[in-house]
Amino acid sequence: MLLADKRLVITGVLNEQSIAFSVARLAQEAGAQVVLTGFGRGLRITERIARRLPDPPPVLELDVTEPAHHRALAADLEERWGAVDGVVHAVAFAPETALGGDFLDTSWDDVATALRVSTYSFAELSATLTPLLRAAGGGSVVGLDFDATRAWPAYDWMGVAKAGLEATARYVARDLGPQGTRVNLVAAGPLRTVAAKGIEGFADIERSWGEQAPLGWDVTDAEPVARTVCALLSDWLPATTGMVVHADGGAHAIGAPTPPAS
Amino acid sequence: MSSTVYERVSTILVENFGVEADKISADATFEDLDLDSLDLVEFSLAAEEELGVRIEDEEAEALGTLGDAVKLLEDKGATPGEG
Repeated sequence: MLLADKRLVITGVLNEQSIAFSVARLAQEAGAQVVLTGFGRGLRITERIARRLPDPPPVLELDVTEPAHHRALAADLEERWGAVDGVVHAVAFAPETALGGDFLDTSWDDVATALRVSTYSFAELSATLTPLLRAAGGGSVVGLDFDATRAWPAYDWMGVAKAGLEATARYVARDLGPQGTRVNLVAAGPLRTVAAKGIEGFADIERSWGEQAPLGWDVTDAEPVARTVCALLSDWLPATTGMVVHADGGAHAIGAPTPPAS
Repeated sequence: MSSTVYERVSTILVENFGVEADKISADATFEDLDLDSLDLVEFSLAAEEELGVRIEDEEAEALGTLGDAVKLLEDKGATPGEG
């Protein structure tokens, strides 16, 4: 099986629409052992939703902005497994003022929060798990991205945070490469997750995606993105790091929606 | 004694979300009850587990009042139960 005996830490499972939920489900079906993390009030929800996975996994508390949580996570995983083969970073947050159209009227404090949670945490979580990844012979870190090479309606400072995430992933790839750790992002097409629905105006992005993507796009199906994440967690992309892999139906490659050939 | 869907939903709100019982009425919106979008996600899960009826995300978003939620659950087949 693709992920037989892989020991995976998966953040960002909130409900069944979460990309990370699909990752956890597919990973378990492919033979992986999984630990989830949850945060704040979301922790209770993650605990509930964990029971809906094929093999209900443990849920550990991780507020990425709490150094003590990072230490506790590393200590738990050290005792539980002694090594970690894969990490899924599916964490992002921006205050409402930083999303939805008032780009030029967002305070630094709100922007800082978005960058703290959505960008810096990728490096921080990677650092937390570096020794455990090394113990597994390198392992794979995968983060969730939304193509940050272009500006989007409504996405605003989260777009800036994702641009930072893309750069951060390259630097983490640089620094963890020598120990064999691969570090990559999956740039997803728009999906109707709880996170996306929190963004007023995100529907404008959704609308044209299916027309622009040569393979088409279903905004309600996270599985294509989750399968891509699982591929990166597997041993089958062994020379790939510092990469943004697009799981978007191909929309990023096309300049404008193309009518079907008559 | 059997309880109505309304009563069972009220129990979920009091026990899981710390909503004060006297704030609960059919006309109360989720905002009145201080439930935000994250709470609504959890409420949908809790209702599904307690009542065996699934609320889709789109349906949860469209819910205005507690009465709407009870009606939706009843329409989807939730029945009065023990408890």
